[in-house]
Amino acid sequence: MSIDFGATAIALLTFFGISAIMALSLNLEYGVAGIPNFGKAMFVSIGAYTLGVTYTRLLLWLVTQPFIDPCDATTLPQALELRIAIIKSLPMTAFLNFGLTLLIAAGIGGVVGYLVSYSALRVKEEWYLGLVLLVGSEVVRILARGYTPLVCGVNGISGIAHPFSWIENRTVATACFAGLVVLMALGVYFYCERLVRSPYGRLLKAMRENDRVTLGLGKRVPRIRAQVMFIGSALAAIAGVLFAVNIGFVSTNDYVVGLTLDVWVMVVLGGVGNNRGVLLGALIVTVLNRITSIMSIWLNGLGSPFEFNYVRYILFALILLWGLRYRRQGLLPEHSQTTVAHDELSLRP
Amino acid sequence: MSDLLALHDVRKCFERLQAVDGVSLTVPSGKIVGLIGPNGSGKSTLFNVISGNLRADAGRIEFDGHDLTVRSPDQIFHLGLVRSYQDPSLFFRMTVLDNMLVPARSQRGENPALAPVHRTWRKQEKELAAIAGDLLDQVQLRKRYAALAADLSGGQMKLLELGRSLNGAPRLLLLDEPTAGVAPRLAHDIFHQIEGLRQTLGLTFLIIEHRLEVLFEFVDDVYVMHAGRVVAHGTAAEIAANAQVREIYFGE
Repeated sequence: MSIDFGATAIALLTFFGISAIMALSLNLEYGVAGIPNFGKAMFVSIGAYTLGVTYTRLLLWLVTQPFIDPCDATTLPQALELRIAIIKSLPMTAFLNFGLTLLIAAGIGGVVGYLVSYSALRVKEEWYLGLVLLVGSEVVRILARGYTPLVCGVNGISGIAHPFSWIENRTVATACFAGLVVLMALGVYFYCERLVRSPYGRLLKAMRENDRVTLGLGKRVPRIRAQVMFIGSALAAIAGVLFAVNIGFVSTNDYVVGLTLDVWVMVVLGGVGNNRGVLLGALIVTVLNRITSIMSIWLNGLGSPFEFNYVRYILFALILLWGLRYRRQGLLPEHSQTTVAHDELSLRP
Repeated sequence: MSDLLALHDVRKCFERLQAVDGVSLTVPSGKIVGLIGPNGSGKSTLFNVISGNLRADAGRIEFDGHDLTVRSPDQIFHLGLVRSYQDPSLFFRMTVLDNMLVPARSQRGENPALAPVHRTWRKQEKELAAIAGDLLDQVQLRKRYAALAADLSGGQMKLLELGRSLNGAPRLLLLDEPTAGVAPRLAHDIFHQIEGLRQTLGLTFLIIEHRLEVLFEFVDDVYVMHAGRVVAHGTAAEIAANAQVREIYFGE
């Protein structure tokens, strides 16, 4: 078996960018604000489901085509061909549809995050919220699978082409998409970094350290928690759109608890509270995922009955155990100073 | 002399324990009032009820004409009542300066929409840093502004908590054992600070304290609690001479 290194690098870069956005959003919620969001997969799936709906409805509407049922076996091939044809022939429409999808997904994700946070208002222990999200995430997935009109239930929706698909050369097209994803991840990184190094970031850390005292110092903790969940969930939904576009398929099977745990490993390994550390964590996890899946294909090709994919989980477990034992702060620890206030005092001793 | 804080027959019950059993007390404006009593007498519970962390079962709590029993802790803070806690309750994994800046009021950069655009709040942040720096001078922690709160000594933690409360622009400070775990000389320093703040800023204090020898030197008025009730009230000298107080407090 030969490996196309160029294609692998592009694929790796794309997966890294998407993972980075998920990990940065969890870092904002958990690393900075102390909200243990174990429902990351659900908020990511909101983006993917939004994409499923916009690619089968909004896209047709944009080019004034009548709606074709994307799930029914008789109309399915026609619907699939039509949406691929539109994206390959009309770049502007492809981008418009993609951009609108991102906006709608971010909006829905954000509102759901906000509401979930408020619904847990009466819950004093934030780890309870974490468990509610863990279970809720799975419930939402099963509901989404059962409600066929959303993303065609167990069948899912295939034929999701990325917005650069109109470029003839496939390598160039995927490289363009990878570039877009990485640019967006960088944008999210700088946004999160500036947010953390502001009085708002200080407020979030205070809430993480002691929410009771923060409330006593005049801050409306439940509202701030809801704001953070809005931002984090909107970012997760954006990552979900990119995730589904990248694999070209929307399926409820992709948004399981395992995805949430992958994102947690990135944050805990890289450095809780440190955005740069979290990028490093995302890179390590993405590369490990890639290596194990390539190894798995390679071993299967040799006729080995050994399923190498499971080695990944063993590896992650070992990394987490090592991290918890020897490096609680992660590879890159959190910066202690938040704002320019510190420079101000160092200048005027 | 008007009363800044007045409690009328305040009650708080946990399950079957009447932790606060009809407490009435007043804290006159510009005074330092002490609240003493053996462990478990309901002092800290009373603080939690005043600051809104716990809801009173019955009674009225008036702060400058506002009823506190219907308000949440953040609203009570904004009225000008700031409290400290018995255990050091700093933001441990944050710097001393960041600890100081959390309670500063009306921060533009605390708006999540403005926060990422640093120029919208940089000027205000520098002004707040200067104010916090002066307060750190007062509590002798200026040099340690960049240290993590977790790395301070016990006494410094107490001082930082006092400084942080001051940066919330309080009118009344509720201090829960401000000298707990502090060396005897430093305990005296802390009370000198408190006395200084009363004189320079006109602040009012209600203080829970077990170090009676230090407390009695500085307070105008003392309330003694026992089993959820106020059992004695008077000047420091009167309380020190009160036989009943000596009995419940020292078992004499």
